[in-house]
Amino acid sequence: MSEFIQYTLQGLAAGGFYALSALGLAVIFGVLGVVNFSHGACYMLGAVIAAVLLAELSLGFWVALVVVPVIMFGFGVLMERLLVQWLLALDPLYNFLLTFGLTLILVEAVKLRYGVSGLPYEIPAGLGGQVTVGSVNLSVYAIFACVFSVVLCLAVGLLMTRTRIGMIVRAATEDPGRTRALGINVGRWVTPVFGFGIALAGLAGVLAAPTRAITAEMGSNFIIILFAVVVIGGLGSILGAVVAGFLVGLVEAYGVAYAPAYAQIVIFVLMAAVILVRPSGLFGREEVA
Amino acid sequence: MRSRNTTAVSAIAIAATASLALSACGGAGGPQAAAAGGLSDDKVVIGLLNDQSGVYKDLSGPNSKVAIQMAIDDYKAKYADKAVAKDIEIVTADHQNKADIANSKAQEMYDRQKADIILDVPNSAAALAVATQAKNKKKLYINIGAGTTALTGASCNKYTFHWAYNTAVLARGTAGTITQEGGKSWNIVYPDYAFGQDMNKSFSAEVTKNGGTVGQSIASPFPSDNFATFITKAGEGNPKVIGSMHAGGDLINFVKQFNQSSLKGKVQLAVGLMFITDIHSLGVDQFAGTQFTDAWYWNFDAENKKWADRFTEKTNTRPSFAHAANYSAAMNYLEAVQEAGTDNADTIVGKLEGKKINDVFLRNGEIRKADHAVTHDVYLAKVKSSAPEEWDYEDIEKTIPAAEAYGEANPACTMG
Amino acid sequence: MSERMSERMSERMGERTTERSSTTTTTADANRGPDDGVPALLSVTDLSAWYGEARVLTDVSVTVAPGEVATLVGRNGAGKTTLLRSVMGLHKQVKGTVSLDGSDLGRRSPDARARAGIGWVPDDRGIYASLSVEENLMLPPVVHDSAWSMEKVYDHFPVLAQRRDFPGTKLSGGEQQMLAMARVLRMGSRLLLLDEPSEGLAPVIVQRIGEIIREIKAQGVGVLLVEQNVAFARSVADRHYLLAQGKVVEHLSNDALAARESELLTHLGM
Repeated sequence: MSEFIQYTLQGLAAGGFYALSALGLAVIFGVLGVVNFSHGACYMLGAVIAAVLLAELSLGFWVALVVVPVIMFGFGVLMERLLVQWLLALDPLYNFLLTFGLTLILVEAVKLRYGVSGLPYEIPAGLGGQVTVGSVNLSVYAIFACVFSVVLCLAVGLLMTRTRIGMIVRAATEDPGRTRALGINVGRWVTPVFGFGIALAGLAGVLAAPTRAITAEMGSNFIIILFAVVVIGGLGSILGAVVAGFLVGLVEAYGVAYAPAYAQIVIFVLMAAVILVRPSGLFGREEVA
Repeated sequence: MRSRNTTAVSAIAIAATASLALSACGGAGGPQAAAAGGLSDDKVVIGLLNDQSGVYKDLSGPNSKVAIQMAIDDYKAKYADKAVAKDIEIVTADHQNKADIANSKAQEMYDRQKADIILDVPNSAAALAVATQAKNKKKLYINIGAGTTALTGASCNKYTFHWAYNTAVLARGTAGTITQEGGKSWNIVYPDYAFGQDMNKSFSAEVTKNGGTVGQSIASPFPSDNFATFITKAGEGNPKVIGSMHAGGDLINFVKQFNQSSLKGKVQLAVGLMFITDIHSLGVDQFAGTQFTDAWYWNFDAENKKWADRFTEKTNTRPSFAHAANYSAAMNYLEAVQEAGTDNADTIVGKLEGKKINDVFLRNGEIRKADHAVTHDVYLAKVKSSAPEEWDYEDIEKTIPAAEAYGEANPACTMG
Repeated sequence: MSERMSERMSERMGERTTERSSTTTTTADANRGPDDGVPALLSVTDLSAWYGEARVLTDVSVTVAPGEVATLVGRNGAGKTTLLRSVMGLHKQVKGTVSLDGSDLGRRSPDARARAGIGWVPDDRGIYASLSVEENLMLPPVVHDSAWSMEKVYDHFPVLAQRRDFPGTKLSGGEQQMLAMARVLRMGSRLLLLDEPSEGLAPVIVQRIGEIIREIKAQGVGVLLVEQNVAFARSVADRHYLLAQGKVVEHLSNDALAARESELLTHLGM
């Protein structure tokens, strides 16, 4: 039983992190209709910038947690203004391919500058070690990362449900055309929302830095899992991304515990099952054209 | 909205397909010129085929070209006017860790670029593809970067040599030594692909042979970045040793997350395959105390250090064992050409087989005739707790003699 | 794949560039509104619209005066909804002019048109599932002094007050219709585009919607109403435009519509 609790806690810890990582993807899809393939690369950039801040400017984890999202917000704004906006009126496939190409460029650029072996990063002071209760234990950092992610998801949730900005974003997510027809300049919200989504990806990267290999390729595998998360949760649904994040974390942990070789396949089996039963995902709206 | 969602989902599917299709095809056949005596095309062409952009780029990659060039320079300096090979060229290609690309690039090198020999080829699947090409084209091939024992086993052939290490050597060095020293109970986590499965088998066999037990062998998906639960699982049954058979980014992920687990300090971590570039990237303190088998270490003795200093002058980084092995392989190939007076592959094979070598990379080295494994002393290394200088990360705890490390020739090899 | 893509690309580009400028063509008498001296609030002149190559509206001219209710009647597919969407700026493959208060809306965006005073109530009511009833009401900006206050909205639609915290789509069809109308009234829209407000609703609710339309009409708001329910149309409207195959085929007064009701019912299959 304690074994089961152990895996459950580990699954929840990973799930919180998945939720935060997928959140930006969901927000961007919701408002812009863009499937941002470069989300993994932006996550990677977040981690790489954190490592560079540490190595070259001696700016630690806590500073990175604030600075990196700001930098990535700027990066996202540039990306939207320079590239993404021109393709918004076209088939979503165009922006998908654009961000796919951008991913290749970012990954190669980081390889060129920082090599492929990866960059060092340490657990911030005070977050090392484990918490042990009985035979169950979790690393302090995993707990921190999960709590931080959940708090942030809640904050984004509150922003979405309790503010006028959130109300507009929700409305635009549901139907951009109709929202325009109600006098709201949806276009004005598109750039900051895109930047916000990219900032969230960068933040997830900083959170990953102390516990994962910081390499140019670190986002390449991760983005696939994030796609699974947003598809399970329902493309564009913020609540869906959060719930599916935890679901995927748990399923992965139980997979490792009881069928290790299939741990990752299990996620995609779950995704396939969800699509079969609810094609638009757990929290996706069943649309009637 | 419906169309938006469905297009998005199909876009994901299309991209997945497209990225598979990106593995380009290339290569063309060409006329073959092989002179019986003298040099074909009046020059020697050395092909370096390895990962120039992916996970193995730093541990071998473009810097292996520098190492090979050092061998060429040394050869020319040594023989000057008497050199048989006056014109020596290096051609390089990136196999991107894909067997099909390695296959077509090897074909292109042998046929069109007139390569007399191909060196390096990390990644077992790619390595085996090139071995088949070498056999078909009757051209030389010295593998350095790949670990698979099949190169000197079932897939061995007359033209293929395996210079630096293999998974069985790593197992004998690491699993054998640690088990003998009292680490009797093991749990192993391995990445679920050819290399990882091979490593798991070799390590399990070696642990058992030395009186230890392997409680669980756990396969992890490849690649993977979340190992927390795998580590918990590997801790079940309170083993003395957890063996990680991962490489590259997976290894770094595993070690980082192991260090954050409650097992750190209680269970010994043994690593199947480690390159100095891994320690460099993660930081020495993260790996501190980890034991592994190293085929060569730059700061082992004065001779190594001297060569390493030359290498560092040109590259600004310390050499990995793969760099030194590329130098050694290229140098010994050129020596064989010098001795034979020709670059004819069959003649060179005759010169290489059975040759005993001592050089900067090979100590007590021998090119074993039976299976073309190049046997030599290897080392059990332990990662220092802090680095006295950058790149000075390893304490060599023990030299494992060639005979012990390599054992008997692989009976599966029939030199077909 | 590239061929298909470029095809699709050119199709898309086409859609964006075919916002053709207005041309003057002959205007049938039937298309002209009553010239009773009241300046038109909405004036649609020679509007044509396409979906790709298919032309769905041909030289349609329609006017609505302040405090007037004009209906568009016709079969399904006659182009009624496309006309409303074109006025709103949501359908872009158009040529012809749409003016509000005498000024040409040109290519102004839907949100600019909404802020200029056009309120759209789509046939699916357009209620947001992810917004509460109150948020649905609060979402659009107030664009005119005549905007209803929340008190007034809740006073007129007490059911919305009771359910203010419900998700918008948890309301009944009739309640959603009230909400959609209340939403544009709270904006202060001076011209309402109502797309089949009576569709699928119980008679008692249809009656209530009729009352509301008459009330806002009395306040000087103009209404362009798409309606299939001829009886309902007659009960609230001043004039009727008959649309068939994208053209205005008849322009009838309320009495004329009443007189020809049975003929129209069979003829137009309404």
